[in-house]
Amino acid sequence: MAAQSVTRLRATRPGGAPTAVPHVPLRMVLTCPVARGRTAQRIPAPGHSRRGLLRAGGLLALGAAAAPLAGCDLLGGDDEAPKAPDPLRPLLDEALTLATAYQDAATAHPDLAARLTPIAEAHRAHAGELARLIGVTPPSSTPAPSGAPSTDPDATLADLRQRERAGRDAAVAACASAPAERAPLVGSIAAARATHLEALK
Amino acid sequence: MSERAAPPAPAEALAAALTAEYAAIYAYGPIGVRLSGAARTAARQAEAAHRRRRDALVLQLSTAGATVPPDRAGYALPFPITDRASALRLAVEVEERTAAHWRAALAATTGPDRDQALDALIDYSVRATRWRRTAGVDPVTVPFPGRPT
Repeated sequence: MAAQSVTRLRATRPGGAPTAVPHVPLRMVLTCPVARGRTAQRIPAPGHSRRGLLRAGGLLALGAAAAPLAGCDLLGGDDEAPKAPDPLRPLLDEALTLATAYQDAATAHPDLAARLTPIAEAHRAHAGELARLIGVTPPSSTPAPSGAPSTDPDATLADLRQRERAGRDAAVAACASAPAERAPLVGSIAAARATHLEALK
Repeated sequence: MSERAAPPAPAEALAAALTAEYAAIYAYGPIGVRLSGAARTAARQAEAAHRRRRDALVLQLSTAGATVPPDRAGYALPFPITDRASALRLAVEVEERTAAHWRAALAATTGPDRDQALDALIDYSVRATRWRRTAGVDPVTVPFPGRPT
């Protein structure tokens, strides 16, 4: 629990005059906290409330009277609409594309393989976790990144840096809008992509 | 409207992050002593980053009327710092663990508070990577920075 270290800090001090500086183990203070679950706090999914249906009906009547543009769109929300793609789906696809880009670059430049392979594996691990979170099975065939890696190692690294930077920015944006229970994973992915940029320096 | 559970407490998560910042600042004392040259400069910069976040958190929590956890005079280090190698090892650990506290704060925060937490998570993860490179640790990255293992 995140609060534990705080409690411990306050708890250690008996009444007597301390003879030595009280030491709290750094390990305890810096123990990895466990995120407070907030899954029960989510706003309930928008349901098909009676009021909503009435409003839709009212709008439909209004639209039908006003113009021909009132199609079935107005009722679209009330029907079993096709499931919207998960907001994290682009992040998953990007992780797979990045993994392939690094793997291809490592194959094309064996000198760089030691540096690039762990990053490719990290992107695959991200894809796996995102797939689990979204509730899909990650595609077995990885998408081909646009274009084969350059024969020039410097150009290859520059290309990877550019992809990674875009990926980091996308993950940062996704983290900002993610629901509480998803934010830590997406945040770690954003941070990982930032460390990949550092590793490519 | 009935709220069944207590509302999520961003202040609690931020207070935990503050406690981690205190410990990190403390740890960089013995770390810096064992380093020289560029590594020592990096340690000083890292410590300054932790101090900046500590100061911001103290201000933020007290302005919000939340409890500001106290700093301690000392913190027991997880292992003795006797040389450059152990100093670098601790530096990696300090950054990873403070990153973990900020990562946990992501779930408890929204808006600017979450941006702040993500910024810290990224900053410390990158610093941990730099320390690994200085220490010669390979690979220099971890797949999920700040995630409890």
